[in-house]
Amino acid sequence: MSSDVVLVIVVGTALAFDFTNGFHDTANVVATSISTGAAAPGVAIGMASILNFVGAFISISVAATVANDVVNAEVITPTIVFAGLVGAISWNLFTWWFGLPSSSSHALIGGVVGSAVAAAGFHAVIAEGLIGKVLIPAILAPLLAFLVAAVAIGVGYRIVGHQRPGVVSRGYRYGQLLSGGMLALAHGTNDAQKTMGVITLALIAHGSLGAEADPPLWVIASSATAIALGTYSGGWRIIKTTGTKIIKMDAAQGFSAQGAGAAVILASTHFGYPLSTTHVINGGVMGAGAAKRVSAVRWGVAGNIVTAWILTLPAAAVIGAAVYGITRIFGTGALGPLIVTLMSLSLLTAVFARRVRRGAPVAVS
Amino acid sequence: MIATIVDWSDLLQTIGASILAGVGITVAFSVVIWGTARFADLNREDRPAPAVAALAASGLALAVVAAGVVFGIVVMTTK
Repeated sequence: MSSDVVLVIVVGTALAFDFTNGFHDTANVVATSISTGAAAPGVAIGMASILNFVGAFISISVAATVANDVVNAEVITPTIVFAGLVGAISWNLFTWWFGLPSSSSHALIGGVVGSAVAAAGFHAVIAEGLIGKVLIPAILAPLLAFLVAAVAIGVGYRIVGHQRPGVVSRGYRYGQLLSGGMLALAHGTNDAQKTMGVITLALIAHGSLGAEADPPLWVIASSATAIALGTYSGGWRIIKTTGTKIIKMDAAQGFSAQGAGAAVILASTHFGYPLSTTHVINGGVMGAGAAKRVSAVRWGVAGNIVTAWILTLPAAAVIGAAVYGITRIFGTGALGPLIVTLMSLSLLTAVFARRVRRGAPVAVS
Repeated sequence: MIATIVDWSDLLQTIGASILAGVGITVAFSVVIWGTARFADLNREDRPAPAVAALAASGLALAVVAAGVVFGIVVMTTK
């Protein structure tokens, strides 16, 4: 009975994380379309929501990696997963508050790894999976997106260089409807799967599913719905940072950045790498900017973003470990997760009440 | 140690597919824009044959973009 209650709390918390993931990350997906004028904010966010939902259904490779290849499912309990999720959500909201596009995905993995280490020691972590399927792709992905976007925009400018700027700009703006759509689809398929993976891990730990089981349909559908709703709710503070503060983009740069991002994320998803769409799209944006003019990239802002990236895994791990410690104060049953949930909800209510009193979120200028 | 942990075959395929798709789609779409712009200019200059050739190149490039997108989605859904 007690473990059933914890499982219900874990599923609810995982879906809440998925919602914040859509809220936090998809801003990055639509930022380039909005900043170049390819789509109005409402249209871009609505389209991204629908494609996030669809994308969640097209693959389960990343879910399998998160459920089976990062932590040892045999020593994991639903409470460990819960503590990891709270660590990830806390870090997500902290970086959202300060307008920093850090990685929800790495926050999730960091949180779960931290709580698993706090509960069962370092042998709970599968080093091979963590390094080979998370850390190495995490370093390579933004560099790859940077390179792809830079090469693509360089060749693209050569092809259309002598044509009338108005026609070229209009053409790439139409193209951004396609590239932005592909990026949203890619985001849905990679990011929603992390939540599917975590819920599947909790179900395996609870004994509801066998080891190495695939996510059930209800897990896929609920994860898809949560990320789509989060996306629709928007994330204006981060849209502003990515869309206008890193570089001021033209439509061709927006197209190549989104195309590079979609290509890297989709290819990585196919091989089960749980990437950060935030890392990838920002790498693409910087590559598209640097190819035109290195000084066009506001490297100071880019540096702040890189700092947030580097901090994400350890910070979420520390919070996840601390949350696990707090839950254990109240024993191994459902009381600890219940108290932490109530404390978190109270804190969130206070934070949002303060935000509402201060006024509406920042809009794209 | 890292050399044995990482599945280099998967990683290299990811890198290759990303470069091919990311650069390929942008190049093909740039040709779509080039062909459309040239078609309008050549038509205005009353040069129908080159205009049709530019439009054909544009149409072919658009087909490449569409095929690339469809191929990517099919590959994603078949693993």
